[in-house]
Amino acid sequence: MSHPLSVLIVEDEVLLAVELGFLVREAGGVDVGHALDSADAVRLARTLKPDLALVDVHLSDGPTGVDAAREIAGSAGAIVLFMTANLKRLPDDLAGACGVIGKPYSDRAVRRAITFVARCLRDGAAPELPPPGLVLSETFVRRWGVDQLEAAG
Amino acid sequence: MAEQGNRFLADSLLAPKVGIDDPFAAAVHATRMSMTIVDAQAPDMPLVFVNDAFLNMTGYARNEVLGRNCRFLQGPDTEQDAIRGLARATSAGEPVNLDILNYRKDGVPFWNALQISPVRNAEGQVVYFIGSQVDVTARKAAETALEAAAAEQAKTAQQALADRTALLHEVDHRVKNNLQLITSLLVLQTRRTLDDSTRAALQSMLSRVGAIATVHRRLFQSHDLERFDVATFVRDLMGDATSGREEVEVELDLESVDIAAAQAAPLALAVNELVDNAFKHGLAPGRPGRLALRVRRLNGHFIIEVCDDGPGLPPGGQFEPGFGLTITQLLAQQLRATLTFESGEPGVRATLKLPADG
Repeated sequence: MSHPLSVLIVEDEVLLAVELGFLVREAGGVDVGHALDSADAVRLARTLKPDLALVDVHLSDGPTGVDAAREIAGSAGAIVLFMTANLKRLPDDLAGACGVIGKPYSDRAVRRAITFVARCLRDGAAPELPPPGLVLSETFVRRWGVDQLEAAG
Repeated sequence: MAEQGNRFLADSLLAPKVGIDDPFAAAVHATRMSMTIVDAQAPDMPLVFVNDAFLNMTGYARNEVLGRNCRFLQGPDTEQDAIRGLARATSAGEPVNLDILNYRKDGVPFWNALQISPVRNAEGQVVYFIGSQVDVTARKAAETALEAAAAEQAKTAQQALADRTALLHEVDHRVKNNLQLITSLLVLQTRRTLDDSTRAALQSMLSRVGAIATVHRRLFQSHDLERFDVATFVRDLMGDATSGREEVEVELDLESVDIAAAQAAPLALAVNELVDNAFKHGLAPGRPGRLALRVRRLNGHFIIEVCDDGPGLPPGGQFEPGFGLTITQLLAQQLRATLTFESGEPGVRATLKLPADG
């Protein structure tokens, strides 16, 4: 991946979305789009083909983020990262998402998480253990070799 | 012998006239306790005697019941378990007590607390079963009502718990989202602010809100909502705080220490100020430095130490506290804690000492 990380932001709080846009650019990425509801999220994911989608569970059309994430991670082929205060609503497999950042998050935590995911995507493996605040799904712990890093201490 | 036994009982009880010359038979006839005798040896075990109390209870006439097996008392809602229990006991020649749903002649059901005992002849063969019946419909109704009430109460309690849990999650969710919104507002405002001192003030506020947010995130992740682990909080806080200052080496030495959840936010704010203070005064930007955080338990107290390796206290150890330290002192008062600053040789060691009972 030689181009900068392209990121779709799926968040119904506009102020949070704007701030996430800043954080994406500060982490060296490009924010390519912003969706407020699940239909828009899936449509934008298909047309814009982002590398990464930051997805809230609660969107303007209800608690639809999990289903939207499944579509985006599935047919739209993007890496999904949940950003939510609703950790209990997430299914065990994280709906195909690579991980989750719990709200309330700090700007630093998000910047580090985006940088971490960008490097994992570029290299196909984790450069180090995930930064504080980022919890990876079991699938991605294995895919990016985080389990081996953990075993190595 | 069995024939004789039969006849003997039949003679004494079934004779049309009973009088005081046979006080036992007269008593069985006259008692208000329903009583029956079944011939255990005749085919299908027919009733050979019933007293008036039995007839009153069931609504039948004597000639309608004698010679018949008692199963005419059973009906559509009689439990099969009870019927099987009766059959088992009578075929084994054993006594049995059970509650069985029976039906009067007019079809009205009643609960019959039935006791049956075998009567044996001299050879030990069962020749009769003597039964007594008590109408316990009222007791059964009360029991059923009690069970229904208990079940209803359990359901209500369960529903109340489910409602409460849902409400707690909803409130938790809203608080987290609102904290996130406050954080984002402060960050957005900081981005638009060019004046250095205003920026610094906004960043301080951001780190305070961040400390409260960290507490809240931890509080609802744990299973115990009443207690709060200081070590976990400090680890989270430092995970966030150091990322901007890679040149500072952070050393954590954390014993797991619980405090009451109500103290979590003030303590978190105080620790946040001490760390912030160390970064500001002890660890000048661009200079490699060392920050040590220790949490431990000592003689009924919790000790939280924040040490830097910077220039140390001004000569004489006196300094004018800024806003951050002023609120730290106030928070320490609230926590019944003592706050001290000492020379750490090098640097400064700030110590917060709390009573461990809180």
